[in-house]
Amino acid sequence: MVKSTTKDAQDLFHSLRSAYVATPTNLKIIDLYVCFAVFTALIQVAYMALVGSFPFNSFLSGVLSCIGTAVLAVCLRIQVNKENKEFKDLAPERAFADFVLCNLVLHLVIINFLG
Amino acid sequence: MMNLSRSVALISLFLLPLLSFSFSVDNPTDRRVLVLLDDLSLKSSHSIFFNNLKSRGFDLDFKLADDSKLALQRYGQYLFDGLIIFAPSTERLGGSLDSKSIADFVDSGRDLILSADTSASDLIRGIATECGVDFDEDSSAMVIDHTSFSVSDVDGDHTLIAADDLVKSDVILGKAKIEAPVLFRGVAHSLNPTNNLVFKVLSASPSAYSANPSSKLSSPPQLTGSAISLVSVMQARNNARVVISGSLQLFSDRLIRSGVQKAGSQNQYEKSGNEQFVTELSKWVFHERGHLKAGSLVHHRVGETDEPAIYRIKDDLEFSVEIYEWSGKSWEPYVANDVQVQFYMMSPYVLKTLSADKKGLFHTSFKVPDVYGVFQFKVEYEKLGYTTLSLSKQIPVRPYRHNEYERFIPTAYPYYGACFTTMAGFFVFSFVYLYHK
Repeated sequence: MVKSTTKDAQDLFHSLRSAYVATPTNLKIIDLYVCFAVFTALIQVAYMALVGSFPFNSFLSGVLSCIGTAVLAVCLRIQVNKENKEFKDLAPERAFADFVLCNLVLHLVIINFLG
Repeated sequence: MMNLSRSVALISLFLLPLLSFSFSVDNPTDRRVLVLLDDLSLKSSHSIFFNNLKSRGFDLDFKLADDSKLALQRYGQYLFDGLIIFAPSTERLGGSLDSKSIADFVDSGRDLILSADTSASDLIRGIATECGVDFDEDSSAMVIDHTSFSVSDVDGDHTLIAADDLVKSDVILGKAKIEAPVLFRGVAHSLNPTNNLVFKVLSASPSAYSANPSSKLSSPPQLTGSAISLVSVMQARNNARVVISGSLQLFSDRLIRSGVQKAGSQNQYEKSGNEQFVTELSKWVFHERGHLKAGSLVHHRVGETDEPAIYRIKDDLEFSVEIYEWSGKSWEPYVANDVQVQFYMMSPYVLKTLSADKKGLFHTSFKVPDVYGVFQFKVEYEKLGYTTLSLSKQIPVRPYRHNEYERFIPTAYPYYGACFTTMAGFFVFSFVYLYHK
């Protein structure tokens, strides 16, 4: 029983891995960027749990910059993915331009709230 | 016509100096005192007391208590600053005086010395009750003390009391200690317990009681022990001072001159403490001593001299007030270590004792608390025997402005680092995304 479940898990892992390898490079770059942003956010949450939430606005600002940019990157991935039928007519350059503008606004707000 | 207006001007010019012959804010000692007597022989039997007052500059006006021309005010102005009523047996006062006009007199800030004696009338009792003092209801009762009487008591019924239970107050009784006991012979009174403005200056010993000396006691006396007050004093909220004494003989020449030896004690004094007692008490009641005046409250931020219109939370500020004491002739700087200031909004957030310098300036400094709102600087000073000081000044307190918060907090460096790292990451990512191959 145990053996079969571990074998199933291994098979699942392998099939996921091989499917992922097949994705286009630009999507993989976006995924890497999202992981980096979420990782930075987790580090900040761990630090706050350690030290306490004293400049709470700074904590929020830091976490929000990471999560915000991760969300914007996910939106970019959705819009740029060729397999996605919904955004078939949207030019990828337009999606990237939106991504850049939204990030600018996000970071402006973050720096203001950082205190 | 010209002559008339000129003479009116001349007359008013002569009347003008008369207006300065009363107490004022700059010179709080009373000047003109009306003395009501029920018997003009009191002028000679109490001459030492009256001459003492005259030598200190008081203008005494002696009248019989039922004189029909008596008046305390004329055309709305009070004619006298102080009133001495040595008329214990008078039932009705003459002229326009009655217990209500005397109460109004005290309400206007003027002072009163009232003395009852063994035959205190209802009028005198009524005036005393207005001031919070209740005389013994039995009109034939006197204070009797079988352990604290004076051995010179000729009647032998122990009604001449040698009292030494004085209030401990340098401002009321003077700096010099009254060594000899004070001789007293008269009626007892007690203080109304709900009245917090009246207090005892001379109280009876625990073995005293109030009863008729010439008849046997049929029931235990109502007033006994230290609850009996022999001389009490009231300082009203407008700083008018009232002395109520149960004995007119306390002020008399006979008791002032007589020696005293308390029964059961070896000490024999050539002269009783009466003269010193009544002199010092009269100095206090007529505002020659113990009268305080305060300048305005001054506050500003540390390092500045102007008073700001609004403070910010956690500002450092300095506060000062000047207090002077009237010495009888001039204003001297007041020195004390118990004047306090409150920074008050519904309850005091800061309560600090002011430190005095020798010139009458009381100052302190503190940090504005971390609360916004409209605060008041309050100085409420009520010391026994001194005039009450009640000063306040309002000032608002605001929170930090947007650009006044702390910046570059060390504990937040990781967050700052994270934000800038994210921005750098975004920059690098966009390059990599656009130019990868």
